[in-house]
Order: sequence, then C-alpha cells, then structure tokens
Amino acid sequence: MPNKGTILIIEDEENIRDFISTSLRAQNYKTVDAKTAAEGMTLAASLCPDVILLDLGLPDMDGIEVIKSVRAWSMLPILVISARSREKEKVEALDLGADDYITKPFGPSELLARIRTAMRHGAVAAGHGAPSQIFTTGGLQIDFGKRLVRVDGAEVHLTQVEYKIVALLAQNAGQVLTYDAIISHVWGPYMDDNNRILRVNMANIRRKLEKNPAEPQYINTEIGVGYRMAEEL
Amino acid sequence: MERRNLKGVYARLLENYRQRAYWTKKWEITWKNTLMTAAILIGVTLVAWLYHRLSAGTVNIMMFYVIALIFIPRFTEGYVPGIVSAMVSVGCVNFLFTEPYFKWDFSREGYPVTFFCMIVIAVAVSAVTSYTKEQSQVLARQEKQLMEADKEKMRANLLRAVSHDLRTPLTGIIGASSSYLENEPFLSDEKKRSMVRHIREDANWLLNMVENLLTVTRIQSGDTNVNKSMEPVEEVLSESVRRVKKRIPGAKVKVFLPEEFVMLPMDAMLIEQVLINLMENAVFHADSDREIEVYAKAGQDEVTFFVKDYGPGIALDRLESIFDGESQTGSRESDSYRGMGIGLSICKTIIAAHSGRIWAQNHEKGALLAFALPIDNGGEHAE
Repeated sequence: MPNKGTILIIEDEENIRDFISTSLRAQNYKTVDAKTAAEGMTLAASLCPDVILLDLGLPDMDGIEVIKSVRAWSMLPILVISARSREKEKVEALDLGADDYITKPFGPSELLARIRTAMRHGAVAAGHGAPSQIFTTGGLQIDFGKRLVRVDGAEVHLTQVEYKIVALLAQNAGQVLTYDAIISHVWGPYMDDNNRILRVNMANIRRKLEKNPAEPQYINTEIGVGYRMAEEL
Repeated sequence: MERRNLKGVYARLLENYRQRAYWTKKWEITWKNTLMTAAILIGVTLVAWLYHRLSAGTVNIMMFYVIALIFIPRFTEGYVPGIVSAMVSVGCVNFLFTEPYFKWDFSREGYPVTFFCMIVIAVAVSAVTSYTKEQSQVLARQEKQLMEADKEKMRANLLRAVSHDLRTPLTGIIGASSSYLENEPFLSDEKKRSMVRHIREDANWLLNMVENLLTVTRIQSGDTNVNKSMEPVEEVLSESVRRVKKRIPGAKVKVFLPEEFVMLPMDAMLIEQVLINLMENAVFHADSDREIEVYAKAGQDEVTFFVKDYGPGIALDRLESIFDGESQTGSRESDSYRGMGIGLSICKTIIAAHSGRIWAQNHEKGALLAFALPIDNGGEHAE
C-alpha cells in the first residue's frame, strides 16, 4: 500500500493522540507525534509534513503561536482541533492562517475527510495540480469559466454578488470560510463589520440552490464562524 | 458545626453595628439634607411672601409651613431636618409675616403653643416617613434574598440531577470497558462489538450532557449577560435540526422557515442548544411515528419558536413546572436517565438570560413547547 502522506499531530493528551494516529495509520498515512508546541514547531520545520493537526490547548504555549510561527515560513496546511463552544478561538485561528478546524469530539471518518480536503488544497496552493474549471458536488455544478451554476442539470440565475459568494465557497469546498473572509473577498476590505448583508445574500442563495432551504445540503452554516461548502455529499 | 457558630457570631456583630449605625444615622447632618431642607424652606417662604403681598393672613401662612414640614422628611433622612425646619418656620412666621414685620416678638399670645405644635408635627412626620422608608427597604431586601434563594435552589437541583445522571452512563462505560479487558478471551466477536457500541452510546450521551452544562457556564452568573450578536433565525433553526438528526439518526423532524428573512440578537450557540433540547425532549417523549414540527413566527416585537409533537402530551400538573428542573413525578428511571429535566431547565435559564419567555402547552394531538425572543429594534446595530 502506498504511503498517502505524513501527518504531524501536535496534541498533549495521549489518549487522543493515540486514537488519531491509530485511525490515520490504518488508512496508510505516516504519523509523527509531538507533545508540546516547541517540539511541534521543530518537527514541522525539519519534516515538512503534508498536514499539521494542531490542538490549541497545549501545555507550554498557546497553539495560536504555532500557527504564527509556521505561517512565517510555510503554507503547510494546518488543521486546528478545537472545542465547540469557542467560536472566537476558531475565528482567530482561521484569521491567522489555519486552513480549517475540527471540533472536539470528532470521529475518524470526519477527521479523514478534513485531512483529504486539507491535502488537496495544500497541493493546489503549492502549485501542484491546477484548480479545476468545473466544480461538482451532488447535483450542484459550477463552471467557473462560463460563470454558470446548475442544480440537477437546470441552470440557476444568481446575482453578481451571489455568484461571487458561491464561487468562493466552491473554490474552497470542504473548508470553512469566516464571515470576514467572505465579506472582504466579495465586497472589498473597506466593508464594515455588519455581516447582515452577507446573511441576507446567503438566505437568497439557499432558496435558489437548495431543494429544502430549511435543511441545506450544499452550503452548511458553522454558527458563529462562517460557511462551508460541502465537498462530497 | 463550627462554621455555623461563626456565622452566628458574624450575624450578631453585624446586627450590633447596624443598630448603632441606625441611631447615628437618625441624627446625622449631611450636605444633601441641609441643601434639600434649605431649598424647600426658601421656596415656601417665597410662596408665603407672595401670598402675603396679595392678601394678608397669618393663619394661612402657617399652613404653608406645615405643608413644608410634611414634605421635608419625605425628601431627607433622619430627624434633624424636620426639627430644624420646624424652628425655622416658626421663626420665619414670627419675624417676616406677623406685625411688627422684621422684628422678633415673643410676647404674642399663644406663641409657645404654635411653636410646640410645629415641633410635634415635624418629629411625628419625620418618624412616620423614616419608618415607611425603612419598611420598604426591608421588603426590597427580603425580595432579593428570596430571589437568591430561588436561584440557589435551582442550582442545587441542577447539581443533584447532574451528578446522578452523569454517574449512570459512566457506570456503563467503566463496567463495559473493564469487563472487556478482563474477559476478552471468553467473549464472542459479536458480544465485543455490542459492548463497544454501548460504550460509544453512553459516551455520546455524556457529551450531550456536558454540552448542556457548558452552555450554562456561558451565561455569566445567571444575569442577563449573554454575548448577543445578530443571527438569522433560519440558520439557527436548520443548524439545530441538522445536529439533532446527526445525534439521533432515527429522529423524524420537519422544519418550516419563516416567510421573510429575520435576524435576532442572540447567542446562537445557546439558542441552538435550547432548540436541540426541546426537539430531543419531543423525540423521546412523544414516541410517535408522526414527524415533529419545528417552526418560527415573526411577530411585531418578538419572534416565537415552536416545537410541536404528536404524542401523549404533557400531564396537566406538569405544564407549569416542566421547565423548573424538578425530577419527574415518581422519578421513573428511564426518564431521569435521559436527563430531560436538566435539559429543559437549562432552556429556561438560557431564555431568561435573553429576556425571553418559554412555555409549554398541549394541543389536540400532543404537546407544544415554545419560546419567544425579543426583536429589540433599538439595539439592532449595537453589535
């Protein structure tokens, strides 16, 4: 079986580290463990792993510091492990350059899906593999070249702004994008903090794209953080 | 025991101190009192002077000062202002408003009687007013103590229920995992799988419990102190339904979004927890094949969320107390294991912290749990 890549796990809880590396090894990933932030930063620099899994609550320093230090020299995908009730922490980590987060507690299948996404985006960011011209998830298809959106084969008419939002989410499918990131990408950096306009647009987008807007399939809400386009249904 | 004794000593000391302070307070002279008294007296004197210019009559002028004497203790504290102003009033009437004007004349007939009466009025009114003020303060204090006691009771109930409810799944987890480790060679593969599955179920249940408790810690000390931001009603509704379906795979829930787009100030994580708890309660208690319906209606100044089930409904004697965190009638094990009492009392805490209302009622075919959150247009752009 070919090795799918190296994952650096920076986590101080032995039980969690153990469960993560067991599930990853079973799927042919190579794993390296670090118990502290300092150890993690050294290993990240010397090994250049394909993905870094980072717990924010570390004994020697805040995990946020690890993100800053790694981002100073590399765009390595960083996947943050965080508790559910800390939206502020998640937003901060994402704004500082973390690629995505996974909420404790999580199962192996969820973790593997996030790692696959992170590795794919890492490859695109590093220049290997071009971003595709057509994005498909379930019945939703987006042709970036022609600026066309189809649901189950039927063309959907989106406004300029709605298309920008959908395209941005699709280009980063599987990853969460914060409200601020979306707003500054769509409306520019001088838009004020009021994210009502984004919320209203999202409500309209869902009414156009989703079969049942009350239970969206394609664009998920991450309460208090942002939105995530589903990569695989 | 020792602690209780100490408490007693403290209480006595405090009481002693309070009494001494109480009496000195009655005879204290403060700037506020002095200014207030002077202002009222000067005002009355001006009115009396005007009246005196228009129609001469000493008797009515006396009445003006009596009115002043009734009002002064109302706006000041203690006995001093009343008595001082009684003396000043008598003096003023004598000096300003009786012949000979601007001269003292203590020889007038009945003067000592007037003087005496004014002093008595002043003292009596001061005493009555300060007594009333004290009573209302005592009442307010008692009310506060009652409220504290209520809160304390709720907390104690919660703790008791939690420690019981946490122990049950933990027993399952510890028991199953120990048994697995000790008896592994003798267990069939199927048995092993089912034990691990039970461990997972119990752990998930524990997680649910802990998330509920965490939400309570997000509400700082039970005041209306939540971190609100504007959130779309539809996102909160659909997100909580998604999470319920993930947690209880067989759950039949149907969501209806409000017609128009509404945003509300709330802590979305907390309101989501309320919706999840209400839905789980409905799933477990209705036990019916028909879908649970979840919907929201926007009104003039509040948005109301409904969770409607088609089950046996709620016993009439529990309608009022269902959100109070009391254990179920007869404390059926199956019910307390699911910890619904705690879930619902947490809903009440969260909604109270949002200045909203939560209630339960029965409809023809089941139960309807609902809560309303204020739209609060004034603070729409606060955050």
